[in-house]
Amino acid sequence: MSRIKAKRIGFRIDMTPMVDVAFLLLTFFMLTTKFRPPEVVKIDLPSSHSELKLPESDVLTVTVGGDNTFFMGVSSQQSRVKIFNAVVKPKLQAAGLSSVAVADSLKKFKLAENFRVGRDELDKFVVMARFADQKLRPVIRADADAGFDAVNHVIKVYKKANLLTFNLITVLEREAR
Amino acid sequence: MGIVDSPNGRRSNKKGRKHSKRIGFHLDMTPMVDVAFLLLTFFMLTTTFSKANTMEINIPPDKAEVKVVESNVMTLRIADNVMAYCSLGDEAPRRIPLYDSRDTHQLALSGELRQLLRQQTAANTKLVIVVKISEKAKYKHLVDIIDELNLMKIDRFSLDDYTEQDAVEIQRAI
Repeated sequence: MSRIKAKRIGFRIDMTPMVDVAFLLLTFFMLTTKFRPPEVVKIDLPSSHSELKLPESDVLTVTVGGDNTFFMGVSSQQSRVKIFNAVVKPKLQAAGLSSVAVADSLKKFKLAENFRVGRDELDKFVVMARFADQKLRPVIRADADAGFDAVNHVIKVYKKANLLTFNLITVLEREAR
Repeated sequence: MGIVDSPNGRRSNKKGRKHSKRIGFHLDMTPMVDVAFLLLTFFMLTTTFSKANTMEINIPPDKAEVKVVESNVMTLRIADNVMAYCSLGDEAPRRIPLYDSRDTHQLALSGELRQLLRQQTAANTKLVIVVKISEKAKYKHLVDIIDELNLMKIDRFSLDDYTEQDAVEIQRAI
């Protein structure tokens, strides 16, 4: 019995499922992508062979720029509010700002990833961040060119705040030795 | 690819235009799917799920004091002239360049220093390395040294302050 073969010329495939999956993936990637926020200072990280990953939450980052300036950032917004109320607010009030202006700067402070800190203010901020969140994971993100005294200052501040385990952010170095 | 109809092509010669039937019509979705795939590829390629790499450090609290026999202590002083001064116990320090060349983008420590570290830790398993870095040195040196020690699996080391006394000490260097 010879079977009659169906003609294969100009055939059509239903592409609907493929397009469905493509759109699903597209939506997923579009919604999960978080664009990297613009950096306040350009940090040129040192490299190391460590493959340990940065913890996801409760991170306290002290950034040291190449010109030895300090920036601080806390990942949780509740902690930011607490830090603002304890340290920044009294300072603004002493400067004679109205309550509206203070509330306005709180809003700004809550959304800021990083803020600039003076060298001698750093300990006050770190201690306050420690009070606001006990599970804090301290991290130092310093430029490779930063002076050791600036980084040592941060380490001493952490030590004073009893944060004895901390991480240094580096980029992975692939060269084998 | 998508088909674009030219308006002139289909014009009939008749004056009264005939409306084509709109029931069960086909829409060419190819351009839309093209754009969707383009965006999909863009987002897939630009997304990085990776987190930053870190190096963990533990520092002892101020009160804790660990007593070590002096002969088991090796002091590694990093002066601001990118030189390492290594001394075992009370001996005069030995001057070793920190990197092999003067190039500041050097990643690995100098072979001489690495060899010394490896030799000393192999010879004495109780050896504790105290790293003292001058305030004028760079942060990069600290990371490079810790990285090197981690790679050699040396975990008995600690950081200490670089004092005036250390600056005097390195004058005796050979």
